Amino acid sequence: MKTRTALAALTLSVVALPLAAVAPASASHGGGDAVRTHGGCGGPAVWKLKAKPDDGRIQVEAEVDSNRAGQVWDWTLKHNGSVSAKGSNTTRGASGSFSVERRMADLAGTDHFTFRAQRRASGDVCRGTISL
Amino acid sequence: MFRNPVVQFVLASLLLFGVIWWGTGRLSQTAARNEALNDARDTTELLAHSVAEPAIPKGMVDGDAGAIDRFDREVGQRLLVPDVQRIKIWREDGTVVYSDKTQLIGKKFTLDDEQLDVLHSGATEGGLSDLRRQENRFETENDGLLEVYTRIDSPEGEPLLFEAYYSVVTVQQRAAEVLTPFRRISALGLIAILLLGVPMIGVLTLRLTRASRARERLMERAIDSSEAERRRIARDLHDGVVQELAGTAFALSGAARESGTSPELRSVLTRSSEALRRTLRQLRSLLVEIHPPGLNAGGLGAALEDLTAQAAGAGVTPTVSVTGMDGTPDHVVALVWRVAQEAIRNAVRHAGATTVRVEVLGDGPQVSLTVQDDGVGFDPAAGGRQDSYGLRGLQSLVEDGGGRLQVQSAPGVGTTVRMVVERG
Repeated sequence: MKTRTALAALTLSVVALPLAAVAPASASHGGGDAVRTHGGCGGPAVWKLKAKPDDGRIQVEAEVDSNRAGQVWDWTLKHNGSVSAKGSNTTRGASGSFSVERRMADLAGTDHFTFRAQRRASGDVCRGTISL
Repeated sequence: MFRNPVVQFVLASLLLFGVIWWGTGRLSQTAARNEALNDARDTTELLAHSVAEPAIPKGMVDGDAGAIDRFDREVGQRLLVPDVQRIKIWREDGTVVYSDKTQLIGKKFTLDDEQLDVLHSGATEGGLSDLRRQENRFETENDGLLEVYTRIDSPEGEPLLFEAYYSVVTVQQRAAEVLTPFRRISALGLIAILLLGVPMIGVLTLRLTRASRARERLMERAIDSSEAERRRIARDLHDGVVQELAGTAFALSGAARESGTSPELRSVLTRSSEALRRTLRQLRSLLVEIHPPGLNAGGLGAALEDLTAQAAGAGVTPTVSVTGMDGTPDHVVALVWRVAQEAIRNAVRHAGATTVRVEVLGDGPQVSLTVQDDGVGFDPAAGGRQDSYGLRGLQSLVEDGGGRLQVQSAPGVGTTVRMVVERG
């Protein structure tokens, strides 16, 4: 798992980071019913956001990859503009990343999710929105 | 087969068991339903007040998606204990604030009066769900659902209706739990009764059957003895007294014809001879009544002709018909003759009949006798008439002989006596 995450981070570092520097987040259906998007955090870090149906709920996964371990980030996950979950995480491992997963209620109509993470030390902000 | 007391006992026991089985089923269903409903009430109150109410975040009552998420993650699974099929939390205006079926959240339906009463009173009520209602469109339980609701309050102080749905299968399972031990006891009880009762009934039946056979044999012997006695008396009278009287009458007639007899003496002898002959005829008639000579299948017709000849003397026109009697045993012939004798006697003495029809028909294994008169008739149900006693005696006689006697009569329409007896 760690190897795969590291490889993904490396790939992102090489391919996505230059794109992130010049482009905002982009969303796509990566397979099945899942929706994905990703973007940059204004520094070396990047974020990824994924939402997929899960047995009557919506599983939302957010990941911040800074390539450096030990960074503390405060994050918030909003559902239709209302705070559904929030917390603080520290990047770990060789990839220097952290991820959060939460199950959300699959409400009537389209559900909108917003992920925001801010690094305490630098103030770098990752912000992404995804709808399902 | 159904006349066998053992079979009757087993059938009655099974019938009683069926009634008990059905009755206890009904009672236990009701008891189980009440018990299941009480359990559902307790569970609902526990879930509502101990799990859901303390966990409701501020804002959820207003449809805050984040609050709904937090509530769902924190207690959603804890609310769905094994018996619970669905959870809904309502506002008073019918808006679903929360449901484990999240597509219902934010939808608005109409609360019925009972639900509103619970919302206002804080009581806990329940009943079968109406699955046709729009709010229940996601429910697929074919056996139905039991819904129980109670009131909780949001952190903002707004009353909410907490509703839990339970599968009716649970109720049925509870009924089975209540019913199974009772039915087991009932079944074992019946089996014990059958095991104990069948041999007892069998033994008693055997004893009764033996006693009945002994009684029948005794009756047959009594009848045979009576017949034998009648035969002996008739034979003794015929061979003794009748012959003596006939000889005396003949001698008196001869003496009267003697040439030396004075006219006075001749007249006395002639009158004495005629008186003896009348007495002889009466005695012969009496002998025929006691026991007709040569009474068997071949002689039944002649014996009946003799009987009806006496009726003819009383101004009654008789007809006699005997067919199909070949091979009929003597005791059956004797029974036919006895019944015909009594019926003809009644027709002549009490009915005032002008015609009497006697018909004997041997048909297969049965012999039937019909004696029909056109007399005054009577009401068989009223009883009390002199001939009724005779008919009662006939009834007993026929039953002892294994036959059936039927008397049809009504005032003014004559009387028909019909007997059917087995030939063998």
